[in-house]
Amino acid sequence: MLNIKNLSVSIDGKKILERFDLKIKPGEVHAIMGPNGSGKSTLANVLTGKNGYEIEGQVFYQGKDLLNLPIEERAQKGLFMAFQYPLEIAGVNTNNFLKTSLNTIRKVRGQKELDSLDFLKLIKTKTKKLKIDEKILNRQLNVGFSGGEKKKNEILQMTILEPKLAILDETDSGLDIDALRIVSDGVNALRNKERSFLIITHYQRLLDYIRPDFVHVLADGKIAKTGCGELALELEEIGYEEMGVSK
Amino acid sequence: MILNFDEFQKINQAENELNNIRIKNLNIFKKKGFPSKREEDWKYTDLKTILFNNINKLEIPNNKKTSQYNDEWLLKNFQHNQIILVNGDFVSSNFSFEDKEKIKIKPLKMVLNDKKDFEKIKDCFNDKKSSLTSLNHALVNDGIFLEIEENYSFNKPLIIYNFFNKFSENKIINNKNFISLEKNSKLNLLEYYKAEDSIKYFNNTVHNYSIQENAILKKFSIDSNLDNSYNYHLTNVKSYSNSIFENFLLSCGSNFIKNEIHCDLLESFSSCFMNGLIFLSNHQHHELKTNINHRSEHCKSSQLVKSVLLDMSNATYQGKIYVEKNAQKTDGYQLSKALVLSKNSAFNSKPELEIYADDVKCSHGSTTGNIDQNFIFYLMSRGLSKEQANKILVEGFLNEAIETITETNIQSLISKLFIDKINKTKF
Repeated sequence: MLNIKNLSVSIDGKKILERFDLKIKPGEVHAIMGPNGSGKSTLANVLTGKNGYEIEGQVFYQGKDLLNLPIEERAQKGLFMAFQYPLEIAGVNTNNFLKTSLNTIRKVRGQKELDSLDFLKLIKTKTKKLKIDEKILNRQLNVGFSGGEKKKNEILQMTILEPKLAILDETDSGLDIDALRIVSDGVNALRNKERSFLIITHYQRLLDYIRPDFVHVLADGKIAKTGCGELALELEEIGYEEMGVSK
Repeated sequence: MILNFDEFQKINQAENELNNIRIKNLNIFKKKGFPSKREEDWKYTDLKTILFNNINKLEIPNNKKTSQYNDEWLLKNFQHNQIILVNGDFVSSNFSFEDKEKIKIKPLKMVLNDKKDFEKIKDCFNDKKSSLTSLNHALVNDGIFLEIEENYSFNKPLIIYNFFNKFSENKIINNKNFISLEKNSKLNLLEYYKAEDSIKYFNNTVHNYSIQENAILKKFSIDSNLDNSYNYHLTNVKSYSNSIFENFLLSCGSNFIKNEIHCDLLESFSSCFMNGLIFLSNHQHHELKTNINHRSEHCKSSQLVKSVLLDMSNATYQGKIYVEKNAQKTDGYQLSKALVLSKNSAFNSKPELEIYADDVKCSHGSTTGNIDQNFIFYLMSRGLSKEQANKILVEGFLNEAIETITETNIQSLISKLFIDKINKTKF
């Protein structure tokens, strides 16, 4: 699914990631943990296609060179990132935006575009399943949403767009227990043999709900340690520094 | 400009009084010429140069009258009364949804020829705002005269269709419209403009509205179906006690348009709302100038103007709130927000507050900027192309203005016309 080889990323000459390697197979759930400033979000942004980074190395997504693809084509080919800080976009109706987004992606996939009625039906089932209030869809995109609502909206978008590879950038930060459950239920419901996840988090807590296949600890711009789910527990207990991992 | 004034006088015979007014005002115009940058009010819009560069053979309409228009130009699926003007000439009116006893409608041509009626509108010929006003006084030959009786509310909106066919090519059209609402009456008015095949003309029209006690006038101007035309619209509003004037402008069609709106809040508790959107591309040049005069206590005014500029376009918003000494408890508000999306487009904003009363609440704000690139990234990460992302953001930005429209059926009509326009635009 995803193969990152020797990836180095810097901003204004400052190295953030250095010779980073990671391989994700279809159906796998990978968690990346790491202290503040270790480059977790940079990794997510680079994979999604954000501008402003100097990039070396290679990233293959479904066998194709990801770094040469424009942002929207990455999304159209099934890459999705749940933002750490979803943006408030005044004037843009959430419903319209999501419908445009879904139909653009469906078109590329060779599926029929949904009309308003079918889209509404889809929204109704998905929001109900995720226990999200469907009223948020009639509001302007993320405007005036609480932190929890914004994150739930990201998960709703993910559920509707059905990506092949979903990157969750600290989606658990700032969530209460109930919201955390909604987010993890959303992820777990989407888990299958083909779909992969890359979950970026600070805390082990989320991994109680979403059991990852692998946990990586990021430090100094590369993976310092890789293990199974227990590694997260261990980290939680002794902290990054004790583990010999620091900035 | 080619001024065949003798021929004009022959065609448009008038009483001595009007004739004298015409000659006097024509001389004023001849002396001053079209307004240029040298005048403060025209600082951002050099009409003289604009006309010189674009319509060099401007002439007064001659006797070859024609009232052809295409029925397809009329708005469908929207119940309304209508007045049709073609090339500035009053062609027909239809008030099938209304009680005709309560409405007095006349082509202005008839009013100009009737001594008694003329008395009613005579005062407006004293207005000396600019040389264009004088030109209008000199050359006005038609328009609309509408009176709505006390306690009468229109059942359906009135659309004034302003159509222009090929006979108005290179013509200067000078109309005056008079609409007066007596006590407790109500009217929703749409001014709709449509020109045939990119013809080029200059429309210099003066609109006069009088809104008596408790009356409500909601007016909407739609120029989205004009392209090559040049327009100056001067609107004078007199608002009396407890009346409401709402004005909405969809300013996105014509090559050049300057809308100048003067609203006098003459008696207490009257209010005035002026909202609109300016959405321009190519070489379009639009200006909105408002002048709200609070002349009495407890009056309210509010303005929201949102603009988006692409390509080489240019827009100006000059908004003034004037508060007289005795206009205590005034509530005045004004906000302009603009997105300038290309290197070669420009937006000028000149908010003004002039306040002589000491117990008032007045505020204004003006912002000009570009689209946040993080917004674009967010939308593109959901599969939207850059073009789609820009479009959805511009639409959202301008929608805020459309949402101020308080009549839902008119709101959806204008929203549809606006979406048509935005879908045709290349971002």
